[in-house]
Amino acid sequence: MMGAGLWVATKKIDYTWRWKRVPQYFFYNAETMHNAPFDSRVAQIDNLGDTTRVILISEDDEKLSFEVDSPTLNVSVDEELFEDDHLGSTFQWRAGPLVVGLWNTLWISAAASIMGLIIGVITGLCRVSKNPTLRDLSVTYVEIFRGTPLLVQLFIFYFFLGTVLDIDRFVAGICALAIFAGAYVGEIIRAGIQSIPKGQMEAARSLGMNVPQAMIYIILPQAFKRTLPPLAGQFISLIKDSSLVSVIAINDLTKSGREVITSTFATFEIWFIVALLYLILTFTLSQVIAWVERRLAVSD
Amino acid sequence: MIKTVELKKIFSGRGQEVRAVDGVTSHIASGEVVVVIGPSGSGKSTYLRCLNGLETLSSGSIVIDGTDLADRKTDLNKVRREVGMVFQQFNLFPHKTVLENIILAQQVVRKRNRSDAEDKARQLLKKVGIAEKESVYPGHLSGGQQQRVAIARALAMDPKIMLFDEPTSALDPEMVGEVLDVMKQLAREGMTMVVVTHEMGFAREVADRVIFMDQGKLVEEGTPEHFFTEPREERAKAFLKQVL
Ligand SMILES: Nc1ncnc2c1ncn2[C@@H]1O[C@H](COP(=O)(O)OP(=O)(O)O)[C@@H](O)[C@H]1O
Ligand SMILES: [Mg+2]
Repeated sequence: MMGAGLWVATKKIDYTWRWKRVPQYFFYNAETMHNAPFDSRVAQIDNLGDTTRVILISEDDEKLSFEVDSPTLNVSVDEELFEDDHLGSTFQWRAGPLVVGLWNTLWISAAASIMGLIIGVITGLCRVSKNPTLRDLSVTYVEIFRGTPLLVQLFIFYFFLGTVLDIDRFVAGICALAIFAGAYVGEIIRAGIQSIPKGQMEAARSLGMNVPQAMIYIILPQAFKRTLPPLAGQFISLIKDSSLVSVIAINDLTKSGREVITSTFATFEIWFIVALLYLILTFTLSQVIAWVERRLAVSD
Repeated sequence: MIKTVELKKIFSGRGQEVRAVDGVTSHIASGEVVVVIGPSGSGKSTYLRCLNGLETLSSGSIVIDGTDLADRKTDLNKVRREVGMVFQQFNLFPHKTVLENIILAQQVVRKRNRSDAEDKARQLLKKVGIAEKESVYPGHLSGGQQQRVAIARALAMDPKIMLFDEPTSALDPEMVGEVLDVMKQLAREGMTMVVVTHEMGFAREVADRVIFMDQGKLVEEGTPEHFFTEPREERAKAFLKQVL
């Protein structure tokens, strides 16, 4: 029903779908043109099957050889050539902007997730520590980064810190995402630690373990298991939030999509494709986490 | 072996003060089995937890095997590995198998290698009678089995003293016996034990001495014969009338 409705609606606004134009923005067969570097003569042409070798001799007897794809051969033996005359081309498959963008989104999210997890675990531990300074610091951090929009944080990281400390836009983007996610992860980890019965820590201590040992071997593994579902949600959010780095001119999936649209005008198609690609990333992540959850459930 | 002098533990919070342990002085000799009894809330658990350094003392002193727990220089982790503790709620590590529960602290704290730790664990599991459950997770064991694993886990550290905080109170009645049997065997082997329990039969049979606590104070102590037949204190008489 809704699909049909939308179809009728797009008909009305006279939109022509150009799905055929989309694949080339994933991968395209890039043509490299081979031209004569100087005035010369074609000395020899050897057909090597798919490719053909062209050997040029210049006026001062300098020899130069080129290989081009046979069907594109544009010269014949003994032909006199001027500088920049076209000899032939070779073709190579290249990743298009959508694949490059997808890849950038993927590794930016992965790097930010790992950093965010580390920051979050440290924050969570500080939050439950006996030391009031550490506790206050972690509360302040969480409040600041949860209480301001990620977009604003990105601008501050890029325009202020990026300029002052002269850091790369990728570094700025990843750090902003990681620190933003770390605030949420910190709260998730804190809740996880506090949900473990006190007796676990006491049993560990009564066996002579110190607090770090008890945390590493007893509390955190159990807390991690319990916090896996909310952590999954957080990392899925992070993948989606990473689309905001396009505002600081990082070529992520969203920015690539926008660029492709300016050259194709296939606005609807590209946004659907971009959404689908994000969905594939998030869905894969949630499947991986569900698998880890099943693995950890053996002790239940 | 354990000397406590004028031990006090005061909890203060929300404007009120609870004197959980209020001036307990006692001496527990090596190889002695001491049973601590008393009504709920009388400070028995807190007393035991002080002996293990799980609570910091408000005042007084505890000297275990020559080491003063109140001394700031004392490494409590070192004390704790010499003092085993068994809890009412077992507190096994649910994410680790029975065997892993017993070898973890041996490896991490005692720095034993894996195979030595496993040998020790298997030997103790046999001793508490559940050798066949070594690769099971605690959640799949009965309460009695879990508590026996907990005892094995504490024994694996070769403690000089074992503390038991109501080890059978969370068990179904039919499982109490299997845990008490393990404890009796330990007592026969000469382990120094401090046991908080409501099992008067165990106290009568195994204890060298019975301590009766009420409102944080050590009200009366003596041999089981004395305590169960002719207690001096009114509070002790009243308590015994309830539980026997
Ligand atoms: N962590 C604590 N904070 C505040 N009060 C406590 C704490 N632990 C125990 N208490 C209080 O100390 C008293 C003695 O408790 P406890 O030692 O558990 O008694 P028992 O084990 O004899 O039942 C109780 O009144 C209890 O409420
Ligand atoms: Mg108690």
